Amino acid sequence: MTARGTSSRFLRSVLQNGVGRYVCQLKRVSLIFSKNGQGSLGAREFIEDGVVDFARKNPGVVVYVSPQPVQVAKIVAEYLNGSVREETVNKKTTQEIGEILGQLANQSGLDIIRIRKPFHTDSPSIQGQWHPFVNRPSTLGMIRPQDRQPE
Amino acid sequence: MSSFSRSAQQWATFARSWYLIDARMQPPGKISTMCSIRLQGKHKPIYHALSDCGDHVVIMNTRHIAFSGNKWEQKVYSSHTGYPGGFKQVTAVQLHQKDPRAIIKLAVYGMLPRNLLRRTMMQRLHLFPDDDLPEDILKNLTEELPQPRRIPRKLSEYTQEERDAFPGIWVPPEDFRMK
Repeated sequence: MTARGTSSRFLRSVLQNGVGRYVCQLKRVSLIFSKNGQGSLGAREFIEDGVVDFARKNPGVVVYVSPQPVQVAKIVAEYLNGSVREETVNKKTTQEIGEILGQLANQSGLDIIRIRKPFHTDSPSIQGQWHPFVNRPSTLGMIRPQDRQPE
Repeated sequence: MSSFSRSAQQWATFARSWYLIDARMQPPGKISTMCSIRLQGKHKPIYHALSDCGDHVVIMNTRHIAFSGNKWEQKVYSSHTGYPGGFKQVTAVQLHQKDPRAIIKLAVYGMLPRNLLRRTMMQRLHLFPDDDLPEDILKNLTEELPQPRRIPRKLSEYTQEERDAFPGIWVPPEDFRMK
């Protein structure tokens, strides 16, 4: 299939009406593993080592740990916009599972599809990315209408 | 993790800001130019014509705009109802009396690009005839844009000392007789 035929979107954020602060979009994560399966070895180790740390670091995320008779251990991540992502963690080590979980927590929950106008630079700005308040005069408090300014 | 990652920093780039413009004694065309740039997002380095990156613009005091010249009487706004003989023409004064927001709205609408995003951009334009804005809009405002024209002071706004200190070319003598 050509690139034109695939679904695509523009680069955007999940801010409501484009206004707001950063809110972790991952709401619920369930780690599904087998109690005695070989492939779930890393998942079982991760539950002993890392899952409590992850839950402490992300108070906004509900973490479920559910032992089920499954062949393939997986992580099911549910996002604020209703999208659900599944990642298989079969035969993965503890460290790899931790990385996958961290990545899921940072994502916005938008579909990972082709992005139109994927502007890219190999030398990112050391001043940081542009945002609407760069080089803007700062005003304290509320903005007042002009006719109430002192003459 | 819960720390501020790079992907989260990127969100701030796409945030929409709300601008306030005071249209008191300002030419509608100049106000509309400022608006259309912001509504399209052309003031942003991330601008792209297809990505919907415009900001919100709030214009207050649209009732008190100032046309120059004799535009109030001479400028004609035309429309057609679609029926035979349905061609309507009103002057700027008549339109302004009917709806004090219409002149600015039409001017901005005409300056936006003629594409499918035009109606979306117009939805981000908030017009108010007077200077009392709703509380939810006041909360969103981030910056008031400077007015394009300096408002001249009326004679009644000058104090008596300033009027006396105004340099006169010629002071009539005591015994001068006006004809």
